[in-house]
This record gives sequence, structure tokens and C-alpha cells, in this order.
Amino acid sequence: MKASLTRIGAVTNKEFKHLLRDVRTLAAVVLLPVIQLLLFAYAISFDVDNVPTMVIDYDKTPASSEYVRAYDASSFFKVVAHGDTLNQVDTAFDANTARVAVVIPAGFGETIAAGDKAQVAVLIDGSEPNSAKISQAYSVALNQLYDQSMTKSWAASQGLDLSGIGALEPRVRTWYNPERNSTIFLIPGLMAVIIAIVTVQQTAVTLVRERALGTEEQLLVSPMRRTELMVGKLLPWTLIAFIDVVMVILLGMAVFGVPLRGTPLVLALGSALFVFASLGMGLLISAVAPSAETANIMALMIAFLPSFLLSGLAFPLDQIPVVLQWFSGIFPARYMVTISRGVFLKGSGFAELWPELLTLAGYALVMVLVAARLYGRKARA
Amino acid sequence: MSEHPFPEPSPQFPEHSPQFPEPVEGPEASTSSANLPQFPEPSPQFPEPVEGPAIKVTGLTKTFGTFAAVDGIDFEVPRGQIFGFLGPNGSGKTTTIRMLTGTLRPKSGLAEVLGTDVVRHPERVQRRIGYMSQKFSLFEDMTVDENLKFYAGVYDLPAEKFAQQRDYVLRMADLVGREDELTRNLSVGWRQRLALGAATIHEPELLFLDEPTSGVDPVARRQFWDLLYELAGRGVTLFVTTHYMDEAAHCNQLAFIYRGRIIAEGSPTELRTKYMDQRIFDITVSSADLALDYLVSTEGVDEAYLSGASLHAATAAHSPLSADDLRQRLIGAGFADAVVLEVEPTIEDVFVNLVSRQR
Repeated sequence: MKASLTRIGAVTNKEFKHLLRDVRTLAAVVLLPVIQLLLFAYAISFDVDNVPTMVIDYDKTPASSEYVRAYDASSFFKVVAHGDTLNQVDTAFDANTARVAVVIPAGFGETIAAGDKAQVAVLIDGSEPNSAKISQAYSVALNQLYDQSMTKSWAASQGLDLSGIGALEPRVRTWYNPERNSTIFLIPGLMAVIIAIVTVQQTAVTLVRERALGTEEQLLVSPMRRTELMVGKLLPWTLIAFIDVVMVILLGMAVFGVPLRGTPLVLALGSALFVFASLGMGLLISAVAPSAETANIMALMIAFLPSFLLSGLAFPLDQIPVVLQWFSGIFPARYMVTISRGVFLKGSGFAELWPELLTLAGYALVMVLVAARLYGRKARA
Repeated sequence: MSEHPFPEPSPQFPEHSPQFPEPVEGPEASTSSANLPQFPEPSPQFPEPVEGPAIKVTGLTKTFGTFAAVDGIDFEVPRGQIFGFLGPNGSGKTTTIRMLTGTLRPKSGLAEVLGTDVVRHPERVQRRIGYMSQKFSLFEDMTVDENLKFYAGVYDLPAEKFAQQRDYVLRMADLVGREDELTRNLSVGWRQRLALGAATIHEPELLFLDEPTSGVDPVARRQFWDLLYELAGRGVTLFVTTHYMDEAAHCNQLAFIYRGRIIAEGSPTELRTKYMDQRIFDITVSSADLALDYLVSTEGVDEAYLSGASLHAATAAHSPLSADDLRQRLIGAGFADAVVLEVEPTIEDVFVNLVSRQR
């Protein structure tokens, strides 16, 4: 037992030395998560606000100006230009200077004054479906509200009391992320992906390197057990992955205001299991990859892309094809994304997250065991 | 120490016996007896017999698919000897070493290493054997000291033991004062000696060396063999594979492996006399390639091949051909500067002869 610990210690110590000597890797491991978080969090935003809007007012009455002000007043639209002809809309859409155009026909003021339904045209650039869809929904809502307020003011001016009329007024509330701020939604998920990238990528090359150096053969001849070697190699990376986790969490909370509603204990446990599962996956790649280059590409294909695309981070899992949904089950990132979002945003605990935690635990165990087996087989062949 | 294969280093001069070798004082011992390398205590669980060969192999076979990499080989390595395992690349040398070190399971056959069945109980042998490959197995981004420390950790060496061994290895490898240098900055010869030091940090009784001098310059090779002699002098059994035939003469015992089979074994002298039924002529000529073509097709010459800078031609032992006859023929064929000498067969000549008989 003591000898076993000495051997594990020797490997761990050695791995730290490799890391400290390799400035580029060290920088990548420490800085990459921070850079990735900032980059992704700022760049990948599914929020739509301040949509550049062009107004073409053929009416030019106080009523039309008031209507335009309603757009300006909302934080969703931002009136960036006023045009005179429809052709200018085309130009603006092409140049990406505007995404929405509001066209108020002549006679708008008169129609309203007469108490009739006035029509306006709202043109939306559909080349970005996501923001187009949201723009459409917002402009419909805006017009409904405006319509209501006009009805009210008309009723008031006629001395009618509308409160007697039963009206259904929906009150939609978004829970957990009331502002529907997608950054807050993204960061807990990003955390999982960033850990996956750092850990899988780094451990993927570690065993391959030993093979190239001939130290693999040397260690196989020694009293070193394969599992001792694996554990010795996993320990430093577990520590580093944890430092990365803490950094990402603190950064997410401090810079992006991500709330931590659940218990940190569940998050820590989930992270630990996920780190082990990812490291195990890295070792697995390392055990079968013939060269460091292959290991790197395999890590990218197995860790990075699925973690990003199939974890529910970028696309909701229930909106991807069923086959891909099943497929996503074999990548541990999806469980971690669920855990992370649950703890951060919903305040979930063991009661809600135990299936994911259990799956990750099983995953981690299987990965390390399979890696240990494959590693030996490769070397013995 | 009764179960111990090697007694404590004794100050008196040892009697040399291959069955029961005693460590000889190395040069380091005369300067400081405190640094005298000690042999490892045997593990009490597995007492090993003192007598008996270091390695005993019977019918050892390993197949990869239908290819028999090692095809039913038998041999014995007495303790304290330098045993040379020779053969061309791909003849089964490394496969044999892997089976003997317990990292590869044979298909069939017995492999006893230091009295233990290594196939069934590799873990009982691993502490007592060392291994060094041509790759040197050093971490190049670590210092000399850190490499030694790592291997000391792998073998769970106690601190005071490590201090002794470290001292010894540094002096042996001529690396005193360079402990903190990165291994990648050392030249090949130093790296090779450091690798030897790392492979023997736990004082193995038996050391496997797989092409240890591959890619190393002749001077460093010579120095390396001096170190191997020193190890052997201390009672360590050495199992060395090489395809450098000139190194074979350094060994006490040799075995030739060819296509997975041992085709000859014995001491270098035995091999040269017992297996050699040919006369060897050494030919120096400027256009060696053309002369080689000529010699191969010359009547009376069984075999012709490059040997170092010159050509060797083998003829039957009873062949009437003399050195002068051969020279006349070469001159007649247009090789005016040919110099022909009849020479003692080298190990390489023996090997070429043996291989040609296999065909």
C-alpha cells in the first residue's frame, strides 16, 4: 500500500514537472478557460435587443410620430434611420444597417382619428431566423399594446368605462431567468464544455507521449501497476480542472452576474465526477491513439464538438432529432450541463439531480477502467 | 542472506564463478566505502533459490496471427554472465525480451526468470529485474536528478538508499555537477549512461538491454560496454540484444536468433570454431559494389558480403582457393587495387554462414 502510494506520488510529481516546464500548455490550461468564457459569453448571445430599425413615415402626422416613439421607447427596437421610399429598406437590409423597417402609410393619422383600424407594415430581415422570429413577436406585441392604449384613451375621451368589460389579460412570467438573459443561461453550460475541452485534450496526449518516449515500456517492466499510473496521471489534472471550475464560476458570477441558487456541494460533486469522466475519456483516447496528432484530433471530435453541440448548450436537447438525442447520451457533457444549470439557475439539489450525478459517476468509473485495460493491451500487443 | 542471489559486497577479492557470482568492487568503492552500492534485500514472501540459472526458457513460442515471432526457443543464461542475444531486426529479439520481462504473454512454453515463472507471476520478478531500451526511456523535459528521483519512486526506494544510488549513478554516468541539467540538453552518450543508471537504480539482479547501443557513436558504445562489464563484475546478469555483430565478442555467451528460432549458441570462441566450416577472406578494393557483384558470382566463393569498410568472401573449408588466387581473379576482372587477406572469422562471418545454411 505504501509502495503503491509512493508510485502514484512519483507519477503525480512528474506530471506536475512536465506541466511547469511546458509554459504553453500551462498558459493554455489556465488562460484558455477564461478566454473561452469571455469569448463565448459575449459572442454567443441569443438575446435580441436594440434591433436597428428603419422608419418610413408617409403620413407625417402627430399620430404617426407618436406611434414611432413607441418603437423608440422599447429597448427592443432602436430607430436608426428615417427613410422616404421603400427602396431604402432594401439598401439598409443589404448593408445590414437595419433589420426591421416600419412603414406607416399616408392616412394613418386620419384613419385612427376616424376610429377605424389603421394598418402599418413591419418588414423584417429574415436572413437571421432567430432574431427575425423574435422581432416579429415583439412587433406584434408592441402593436397590441399600442392598440390597447389607444382603445383606452379613445374610450376615456368618449366617457366610457371599459373596466366593466371582462377582458382576459395574460401575464406571462419567465421563471429562473426572468430577464431571459441568455448569457446567464449559457455560462453554467459553458463551464461544462470548457472543463471538457481542457481535460480531455490534455490527458489525451499524455499516454501517447509516454509511448513515444519509451517510458511506457519501462514502466510496464517495473512494479508500477497500470491503475497506479492512471491515478497518478489523473490527480494533477483533477486539481487543475478544479481550479478552472472555480475560476469559471467566479468569473461568471462576478462579471456576468450568474446567480448561484443551489448548494455549491452538489455543483462540486457534479464537477468532480465530470472531471473524472472527462479525464477518463482523455486517457481512453490516449490509450488507443497511435500519435499525439491523432489524439488531439480525436479529443476535438469526441470532446469538443459533441460537448458543444449535443449537450444542450447550443441547442435545446428536445429540439434536435431523436437519433441525435440518443447519441448525446453517450457524452458526459450533457449531464454536466443539466447539473450546472440546475444548481445555478434553479437551485436544484440531490433530490432533482441524482440521476445525472449517478450517470456521471458510472461514466467516470467505466472510462478509467476501460482506459486502464486498453492501455495495457496496446502496450502488450 | 541465504536466499539472496547475491551476497553483500565483500572487501576481499571475489572468486569468479558464473554459478555464484560475487560483486566486485567498482572503482567508486575504493574512493568511498559509504557509497558502495548495495544489492536489494530479497522480498521475504518469495524466497528465491540461489542456485540455478538467471533465465531458463523452454519451448517459448509467441505468435501474432499466423506469424510465429518466436518459435519454440530454448536457452539458459547462467547467473553473472553477459548473454548476447543476436539477430537481425524483426527476428524475435524484442518479443523474447517482452516475454521474459512479463509484459507479453507467450502462446506456449516456459520462461523462468530468477527461479520464478515470469508468465504466471510477473509481479514477483519485476522488482528484481531492470530493463533498458534503445529509446532510453528518460523524460527529456526533466532534469537528471528528477529522472532518477522518478524511477526511485517507481521502485519505492528508501531515501538513504536513493541517496547512495544517486551518488553512484551520477559518478558512473559522469554527470556529477550536471544534476540540474535538463535531460534533453545532454548528448546521446550521456543520456545513454543516465538511462542505464535509471534502469539500475533499484539494483536489479538481472538487466535486460534491448539494443542499448543503437544510434550511439562508436566511442560512446565502447564506454558503454565498459559500464556493462562493471555491472557484470558486480554480479549482475546481463541479457543484451544487439544487431551490431562486433559487440557480440564482448559477451560470455551468445545465442543467434533468426526468424524466431535459435540457430546457434555458445561462447564467441565456440561459435567461431564449432559452427564455422568456412574460410574467410577480407578484400579491400576501391569499387566495392562492383567487386561484390563479381565475387557473388565467382566459382568457389560461397558467400560474399560487406563487412565494415571491406568485403568478406567465404569459401568452403577444404576449398583450394588461396588469397593470392582470389586476388589474381579480381585483378583479372579489372579490380587492380584489390588487396586480399585470409582472416579469422568474426562473429558476423559465423552469423552470415549460419543464415545462409538456413536458406
